[in-house]
Amino acid sequence: MTGALARLRGLALILPGAGWLALFFLVPLAIIFVVSLGDRGALDRIDLSSPSFDNYARAFDPVFLATFLNSVRFAAVTTILCLLIGYPIAYWISRYGGRRKVLLLILVMLPFWTSYLIRTYSWMIVLRDNGVVNSLLQALGLTSQPIILMNTELSVILGMTYGFLPFAILPLFVSIDRLDPSLVAAARDLYATGRSAFVNVTLPLTMPGIVAAGLLTFIPAIGDFVTPDLLGGPETTTIAKNIQVLFLANRDWPYGAALGFVLMVVTLAGTLVAIRTLRREVVGS
Amino acid sequence: MQTRNRWLTGFAVAVYAFLFAPIAVLILFSFNSARRGVAFQDFTLDWYPRLFQNEELIDALFVTLRIAVVAVIVSTLLGALLGLGLARLRFRGQGVTETLLLLPMVTPEIVMGLSLLLFFLQLFGAHGSFVQLSIAHVTFCISFVAVTVRARAASMNPQLEEAARDLGASATGAFVHVTLPLIAPAVFAGAMLSFALSFDDYVVTTFNAGVGNSTLPLYIYGRLKFGVTPEINAISTIIVAVTATIILVAWRVGAFRGEARSSPA
Amino acid sequence: MTDRHAHDGSSIDLEKALVRYMVERRISRRQLLETIARVGPAAALAPVIAACTASPPASASASPSATPGASAGSPSASAEPTPLPSPESELFIYNWTDYLADEVIASFESSYGVKVTQSFFSTTDEMYTNLGTDGGGYDLSFPISVDIPGLIEKGTIIELDPAFLTNIGNLGAEWANPGYDPGNAHSVPYMWWTTGVGYDTARITDELTSSNALWDARWANHISMLDDWQEVFGLTLIQLGYSANTENTSELDEALARLQEQKPLVRTYSTDTIGTMTSGDIWIGHIWGADRYAIQEVNENVVYYIPEEGGVKGSDALAVMSGAPHPIAAQLFINHVLDAKNSAANTNLIYYMGPNAAAKEFILPEILDDPTINPDQEIVDKLEELLSLSQDVRDEYLSRWQQLRG
Repeated sequence: MTGALARLRGLALILPGAGWLALFFLVPLAIIFVVSLGDRGALDRIDLSSPSFDNYARAFDPVFLATFLNSVRFAAVTTILCLLIGYPIAYWISRYGGRRKVLLLILVMLPFWTSYLIRTYSWMIVLRDNGVVNSLLQALGLTSQPIILMNTELSVILGMTYGFLPFAILPLFVSIDRLDPSLVAAARDLYATGRSAFVNVTLPLTMPGIVAAGLLTFIPAIGDFVTPDLLGGPETTTIAKNIQVLFLANRDWPYGAALGFVLMVVTLAGTLVAIRTLRREVVGS
Repeated sequence: MQTRNRWLTGFAVAVYAFLFAPIAVLILFSFNSARRGVAFQDFTLDWYPRLFQNEELIDALFVTLRIAVVAVIVSTLLGALLGLGLARLRFRGQGVTETLLLLPMVTPEIVMGLSLLLFFLQLFGAHGSFVQLSIAHVTFCISFVAVTVRARAASMNPQLEEAARDLGASATGAFVHVTLPLIAPAVFAGAMLSFALSFDDYVVTTFNAGVGNSTLPLYIYGRLKFGVTPEINAISTIIVAVTATIILVAWRVGAFRGEARSSPA
Repeated sequence: MTDRHAHDGSSIDLEKALVRYMVERRISRRQLLETIARVGPAAALAPVIAACTASPPASASASPSATPGASAGSPSASAEPTPLPSPESELFIYNWTDYLADEVIASFESSYGVKVTQSFFSTTDEMYTNLGTDGGGYDLSFPISVDIPGLIEKGTIIELDPAFLTNIGNLGAEWANPGYDPGNAHSVPYMWWTTGVGYDTARITDELTSSNALWDARWANHISMLDDWQEVFGLTLIQLGYSANTENTSELDEALARLQEQKPLVRTYSTDTIGTMTSGDIWIGHIWGADRYAIQEVNENVVYYIPEEGGVKGSDALAVMSGAPHPIAAQLFINHVLDAKNSAANTNLIYYMGPNAAAKEFILPEILDDPTINPDQEIVDKLEELLSLSQDVRDEYLSRWQQLRG
């Protein structure tokens, strides 16, 4: 098989999906980019008579910095927690799941085939001052007054970790399950301890899965505003909420679009740098 | 090995408990006679018959399911091919394609939702059709499938398919018999993520749904103004119960065994 | 278009009685006409019915099947052969979930032969975005009254044909000529509400009357404000003695400073007051008056008051979109909602007072007698309506809101 032919076949695999994204994602995105260069005109119309990057200058308003840092912090903590919880679970399903593997995997997803809002409401029932946790603590005599759990950073992180956990578990499973058990066995012969075999063989070999899981968690998490909105308090506003307000309350689409693009570029750049670094490390080891 | 297994199993049970804790609360409160609140009043079955009289809720459920099915099929197909192609190919535009893959994920939902709304308004002068809503859902699902499949395919030995070809398999034969079974678990995982994403999407849907296309999330969020009642818990309970039954029956019948066997390489 | 029969008292009353009868019996006019044709004695009614059916815009109850039914069933139908619009076969409503009683929709469907399809939004911002400049394919929606002038200017909504609105007289006198839409030319008021303060008497034993209570450090971490910039600034501005719709930026700065003072005490900015005030989280909250009923269902210790400094009121309206595919059905539906019993059915579902004076006799006494849902005129006079602000003024509010929330 010649290289040229392989390349042709590879392109044929990529073409339909890339074409779809180009048409239904890039073209609409280009339209909204044009919008971001305009001004909000009368009657909420978009005025494109004097295009400029003014909206981008406004997007760097320091008022957005605090909410951007909130978004990054929540997303980072959520991603780390999802990986720390997700990896052992994915490993367990893959190694000890046996014939039940697929079943166990579907069970991870099952809670997410209900409604987001209702799941979040259920967490509220658990976390509120008269909720399940506080009632239990008081019944056991551990506390006399309710501990404030709702509307804190803790409840936001909990809600987000819950919401994004399957997005970490699935790609981790897929990657760990690829691993040839005989490789690990061989490594154990070489390294003697289970821990160093894990660190030197299993972990590097499953790095593509860790990267994918990290991406599928961090990226949507940084754009999340519903969870911080519903479970958070006065100090948990995120940048995506600011964008929402600019679009819908201010009805200033150009400004909202500009802030959206700034967030996208920053997230994308950070993500690409992270991927490159991780890949180089994998190749290096 | 045995002790580690027990430790891990204990951890796994705890995580499954965490995942299902809100579902247990959700199911419990579908039998709550009180319309609202965190306290369980009396046991009642009233919400279930009420649910079936609620034509709009049932309609919304079926719209949601129809869109999710389309979104899962199309996005899994396109996303899996894309992920596979990207994992295999070393070409000059790869960085660009990879960025393209991540872009839909880094795009704030409201930007994506409104950009599609503008796109359809500009191009077709109309918006809100079933086709438009399906296209929107496929668009935000593709990347999730592609990233998952790519991770699996990246750790796959590219020489396997070549070896099969050397042994006389046709290109299609090598793909169907070697590559496909290897990436199948990732494709399956991607399909499940797509279903969950589509089934629960609110922001993109709200700007791309039109007459007759109100999905379950739109129905439920629309109720926020007056407080959500246990009817919503009841319908969620039914969805979980029906899905769980189908899964268990399928498992008993052995539907997943082929895949389970093929997964360890 | 207008028909004298529509303004003829006797035929209207008779017609109303008939419509009510049909609604209650869930039969269409065609069925009724056929029954009448079959059962001889009722033939005396035929001329009236024929006159009504022959002029659908004037008689709200005309159904599409009525005209053929009338000509087949009663010979006097030929008296007025004017071709008149009959409702289309469908109606697309864009609405909050559960904002219209099921029976009101069902009776409209059965008496007019129209299939109603509802779609749902969860914030007014979403509604306006999707309605765009022509209604986005919907026939009918529920904008906030103060936004009506803007929607007229944008060309989103149409002028209503008074011929369809035979029940408009049911509106209370104070709603006949609202400032946002003189003469109800483009919209018909649907429901109205007040915004004030709710508190849990089991936690707070003081008798509260002022909005300053929301700034009381004794209740730190158990205070909530609505996640709604205009409501939050409205309450604070009124408390400071200014207009809830001020355009004076130094007054806005003062309000922002006051709100920043409050922020460390606030547990959450949320519109889910039903959830927060029934769970022990919130002892005192800035709430929409009507929500108090839902809260009391679970926590009967919660009471509601309109601050002595003054409160905020608002209302929703029904309006027909300029691009409506079914404008006749939409206007007939508005008239259907204006019917006293139908209006009462909606109030009894959601516990918001409607502007319908004739509906009062059908409203549940518990709602009617509740001074917080149905306050005395003296209290109503102290209320200020939140206005639709110009873009620049809006930006002044919102930039401060982002500073507070960010």
